[in-house]
This record gives sequence, structure tokens and C-alpha cells, in this order.
Amino acid sequence: MQAKFMFGNEAIARGAFEAGVKVVAGYPGTPATEIVDHCASFPGIYAEWSSNEKHAFEVAGGACLTNQRAMAVMKHNGTNAAADYLMHINFTGVKAGLVLISADDPGGLSSQCEEDTRILIHTYAHLPMFDPANVQEAYQMTKLAFDLSEKTELVFAIRPVMRINHAGGMVECQGSITAGKPPEFVPDRSRFVMSAVVEKEYGGELRPKMRHRWLNNKQAELKAIMEESPFNWIDSSEGDIGFVGCGIGYAFLKEAEKIYGQSLPIMKLGTLPIPEKKTLEFLKGLKKVVIFEEIEPVVERLVKQLCFENKISLDILGRESFLPKEGELSTNLVLTAVQAVFAGKDYPAPAQGKYIPARTRTQCGGCSHRGLLFAMKEVVRKNGGVVTGDIGCHDAGTFEPMKLQATIYCMGSSIPMAYGIQKAGFDKPVYALIGDSTFFHNGLTGLASAIFNKANITVVIGYNSTTAMTGFQPHAASTNNLMSKDVKPINPGELAAAMGAKVFWCNPYNVEDTIRVITEATQEEGVKVVVAEALCYLKFGREGKISYQPVPVAVDIDVCNGCGICIRTFGCPAITLVADKARIDESACNKCGVCIHVCKRGAIK
Amino acid sequence: MKFDLVIAGVGGQGNILATQVIAQCAIDAGLNVANTETKGAAQRGGSVTSHLRISDETIFSPLVPHGQADILLGLEPLEAFRHIALLSSNGKYIINTAPVPTILSNIKIDTYPSQEQLLADIQQRNLTGYFINATQEAKNIGDALLVNVVMLGAFSKVSNIVGDNVLLAKLLSLVDERYHQADKLAFECGRRLIRLEG
Repeated sequence: MQAKFMFGNEAIARGAFEAGVKVVAGYPGTPATEIVDHCASFPGIYAEWSSNEKHAFEVAGGACLTNQRAMAVMKHNGTNAAADYLMHINFTGVKAGLVLISADDPGGLSSQCEEDTRILIHTYAHLPMFDPANVQEAYQMTKLAFDLSEKTELVFAIRPVMRINHAGGMVECQGSITAGKPPEFVPDRSRFVMSAVVEKEYGGELRPKMRHRWLNNKQAELKAIMEESPFNWIDSSEGDIGFVGCGIGYAFLKEAEKIYGQSLPIMKLGTLPIPEKKTLEFLKGLKKVVIFEEIEPVVERLVKQLCFENKISLDILGRESFLPKEGELSTNLVLTAVQAVFAGKDYPAPAQGKYIPARTRTQCGGCSHRGLLFAMKEVVRKNGGVVTGDIGCHDAGTFEPMKLQATIYCMGSSIPMAYGIQKAGFDKPVYALIGDSTFFHNGLTGLASAIFNKANITVVIGYNSTTAMTGFQPHAASTNNLMSKDVKPINPGELAAAMGAKVFWCNPYNVEDTIRVITEATQEEGVKVVVAEALCYLKFGREGKISYQPVPVAVDIDVCNGCGICIRTFGCPAITLVADKARIDESACNKCGVCIHVCKRGAIK
Repeated sequence: MKFDLVIAGVGGQGNILATQVIAQCAIDAGLNVANTETKGAAQRGGSVTSHLRISDETIFSPLVPHGQADILLGLEPLEAFRHIALLSSNGKYIINTAPVPTILSNIKIDTYPSQEQLLADIQQRNLTGYFINATQEAKNIGDALLVNVVMLGAFSKVSNIVGDNVLLAKLLSLVDERYHQADKLAFECGRRLIRLEG
């Protein structure tokens, strides 16, 4: 079949489709998001956006026990959210093939943190993983992972990185599609009930210990599979210094080799566990080996352990001992390392770069969050309150010039952190600001906890009806899902009211009203929820649905005194200061009119 | 043969479309293509950088290594400067001189470098290329959004990796017919702006 240009996420979806996947569930997160969208476009696949990654994994788990191949899709933070289920399904094993996509973001290009989920999935949960070196491999690995998952009864995970998910390359597809089996659910409580049950036929051993042994015994089978894997190989060459490229590390290594201009002894690794015999064969006769892998020294430590067990002595260099311990690999980093190791030198300390003015993220022109952030800022400016933040477009409110939220951690942490601050004795108002998708992801339980524990906080929900940050995926408060255009949205305000919160409503485009409503809510005792309801301008504006009356906005330069408040505290990208007067760039302005309320002199009309 | 291109700009300048057009032409010609984009929340004011690699051999990494780019197409001068280290000493830059201020420079936390300073910094590196005011030309044609097409036209004059007729035809095949007239004008204008020495 002729090679076709496709992006990594499309290649992964294609691999899953050809492997006969029937159920795909995920929660949006860069760089993995598009995999689910692509899967939804294939015939015969049920695809969904679950409320969070744990639920996505559980949906896939249920499907695989029903004899249907299934896939769960998430980014690394999401795998953290799904870790509880991970640490159970690893012990039960699977029935039909189950593949977990856990995309990492070395360098944290589009993430709150930089982490390596190979530790969570392989080191911690003892599950096998593939680490693709390019888009072609991402396709092949996904397809093969389903077969191997079924064969070994284990979840197989794939850890693509940003430069795989969001990279385009030529992919040769096999085209053959694995036929599915009829759905069938046969209870097997000895496997699929994880509990401290006494196992009579195992001499009265408790099930958790027995399943742990089962998983440990699987490791030998996995090692044998990886020994034969098409994703591990050796590019032989002369010399006693060898190089190992893991996943995308191999791609950078091969590029660096080209620039270095000399053929190097290279081992390519794409699997966990590593192929131990093949690795020992590669290490034979080497005095030194340098291991290039994304983020943490996972393979490096396995190679060190392997050498220790086999009484082999050589210098093993990598992320732990030689290369920068943080950040993304690159061809230049690898090339620098190759040059340093041949010169017998340390990896050079990176020179502090010269700061080039950054382009920070902000809310779009016309975004409903800007009015909300500005209103909240006005409220806390007067009462000295603190705002805890959450994940989503509104998190750019922590940056200049808004600088509103004092914290950003992980999905849903705004609400419990807010009442933690209050319970600790902070005597001014505390606010949690959270978006609707995040509220359904992991905010609901935090709100229940706050209400149950008689917290005194104000929760502000930015209800814009979409998961805007990752590209407008629907969620439980949307009117559609991936399979249906007719969904009754769960209204977060009505839900909060049913839970016992005092609920207030406002339209954030109306700044004065929003200030009044939040102030009023603050004065009440207990858990108050302010629902700031307005459609995401960027998504719904294209569909002709907006939550404000568009007004032509202009600056009266006779009234404007150039104080710059509209720029320094509000920061709409459509407003700039030209010749000491505010100017609204008509091509960037979406006529939401929020800035009219910001100018105290009344110069914006 | 290998050809490495970096297109640097900000959200909304049509970076992705420009990359797609060139990539598609190379794919049609039976070449290997790899690319990746760094989108710093493009629609929310961030930078957008595309790496496009074309070769008749295996391409391992989708990222253009430092000092390897044959062309740096800078849709915005600061963004071009941010990625200037990717350009090969034998490569050529084509930089739109019209700045797009940053949010932090608007609120005077950062200073957006003056045009003279930026251009001097770039020229100091002993690199060669072209500075053109593509934004002004695009506005003259009637729409600032045509800046990527002006830059594509300029690109077609500097690089012969894809024939200019092929490039224009591919572009037109990817956009709505009602924009064709303006796109043709913008493309031609970009070609005119490049005055090849020698």
C-alpha cells in the first residue's frame, strides 16, 4: 500500500481501527486529543468523551470484559487521574485487547507539568509499553498492541510524546482489518472481582497477593515477547562507545549521527520491558553507553540493573548521570552529547539564553472569561479575597495583566484548595474559579466535600458549554456528544443547587451585574456557587450563537487620557496604546463591549 | 536531497495553511515529508512555528535541527528572530518586517525590540535573506490575512523546491474560490518583492 501523509494521532486511530477496536473513550488533553476525534470518524467504532480519564479507562475496561477491543486515550496528567483504575486492571488483566494511550509532553510545551508516565504504567503498575520513534511506528505499535494485549491478557500501553502525536509523517498502512468477536459478558469473579477474598485453591491466600503474583509471573512472558519485537533492533558499527535511542530519542540520535558524519553503534529500543538478551548482545565489548530517552531515566536504570545482575561493568550514561535531567531531547542535544562523550568530557552546562520577549497566552477577543476575570478582580481588590484557579482557558487569568488566580494545580483542585485555605483560618473571602468541563471532570466531588464539611467559600463556574482549551470537545453540560446531536445538558448550577449549594447566576459579559452577583454571593454563609453562563465565543460565534449583544466599540480620544487601565488591568488583545491614547483594532475586536465598563472615564463607547 | 523549512509567526497569520501547501506539493512529487507544529495556543495570542522537512531519504525527526534550515519564513519579525538559530549558514531568511506586539510589550512589562535592532541582530549573524513588508502589501491588496500568501509567493521566488505554478495551483485548490483572485495577486506580489541579486 502506498504511504500516506498523516499526523501521529491519526496514525494511532488508524492502527486501532485496523485492529478492530470497538470502544474508544478519552478525555481531551494535549497532545492526545485528536485520537478520539479520528476514532469517532471510523465506521463501527463507539467513541466518547468521558467526564474524566479514570472513567474513560473504566469504560474501555468494561468493553474489553465484554469481548470487544477497547482503547482509553489520555495525556499524562490524565493518566494520574486514572492511576487508581490502572492499579486494579493491571492485576485483573483483560479479556479482549485493551490499549491505553498515555501521551507525554516532554518540556511541558502544553501542560501544567513535565512527567514520564512510563514510571506510572511500567515501573509502578508493571504493564508493558511501546514508545514510538515515529508516526509509522505509532500506527504499527497501536495495531500490534491489541493482539499482544489479548495474547498476554494485559493492558498494553503506548506512550507517544508531543513530537509523535502532533508530528506528520509518511505512513504505510497494512489495510487489513481484524474482525471483531460478538459481544459476550461471562462473569469471572476470580479475576474481575478485586477484593481481599480468601482463595481456597491457593491454600487460603488472599486474592490481592495471588493476583500480584500472577502479574509478576507475566513479566517473563513479556520479556520473551520484547526479545522478538520488531520495535527493538541494533544498527551495528565499529567502536566501543555505544548509543541507545528510546522512542523519539532514536529519531534524534539518527539525525545527530548524520550531522556528526560517522556511523555509530546504535541500539533502538521501543518497548518496556526492554529486550534483555538483545541489550546484553549490544553492550558486549562496549566500554561506554549513552542512553537517550524522553524525560526520566527509566531505560537507563533498567540497563544498569541488567548489567549489575549480569556482572557486566561499563559506564552507563543518560538522564540520570550525564544529560540534562529535565526538558525535551533534540538533535542538537544528542549531537552535543555524542561530541562530549567522544571527547571524554561532561555534557556542557547549558548557557543561559538571552530572553526574547515572550508571547503569553490570553483569552481571545470576545471571550466571556475576560469579563468574568475582570469582575472577580474588582471584587477581590476591594475585599482582599483569594482566588484559587483551575485548568482551562480561564487559567490565563493568572498571567499578566489579569493576575487573578493565586494557584493552578490539577483538574478540580480549585474547590478543595479554596476551602482548605478557609479552614486554615484565612479570614477574608476565598473563591474557587473553575470551568464547566473541569467541574464535571473532578470538581463535583470537591464541591460535595466542601458542602459536607460546611465550608464557607464561593465557587465560580465559567459555564461556556464546551471544553474550549483543547479545541471545543463536548462535555456533560453540552447539547451533543460524539455520537449524538441530541443530548440534554446537565446544568452545573442546577446540580450544585441539588447538592445544597446556594446558587447565583450571571452573564459575565455584563461586568457590573457580575460584580454585584459575586459580591452578593460572598456575603452569604456556606458554599455558594456563582454560575457565569455565556457561550464560548470562539466555538459558538462561528455557529452564529453568542451570549452578548454586539456593539460597535470605539475610543473617544478627546476623553481618553491614556491612563492605560484598559490595557494594564484588562488586557484585551484588541486594545493598544497608540500615541498615548487607547486604540481598538477593529480587525481584532469582536464587539463584546466589555471594555466599555472597564474605562472609568467613559472614553470607550 | 533534503530541504528543511521553518515557518515562524503568530496565531491567525495562516502559518499552518502555508506549511500544508508546500508539504502537499512535496508529497505529490513523491518525496518524504515530515512536519510538526508548535502551537502556543494560537488563537489566544501565542506563537506558531511549523517545521517542515522534505527529503528523498528517510527523515527521522520531524524537528529541523539547529543550523539546518534551508529557509526561514518569518511571518513576524520577533518570531523569526526567536528561531533564527535554526537557519543554516547557507540558508536564506525571508522575513515580514511588520511587527505584531506581544501582550507583555503592550503593558510595558517587556519591550518589543525596535525594527532596527531586530534587523541588525539578524544581519549580524552573517546570514543572508530578504526583508519584505508583506503585511503592508497584503493590506494594499485588501486584506491583512493575505500575508501568508504574499510570503508563499516570496518563498517560491527564493526556493525552487516546488515550482511556483505548482505551489499556486495547490494553494488555490485548498481555499475557497471566492478568494482566488486576491490570492493570485498576493502570490504575484510576494514574488515581485524578492529582487534576486546577481
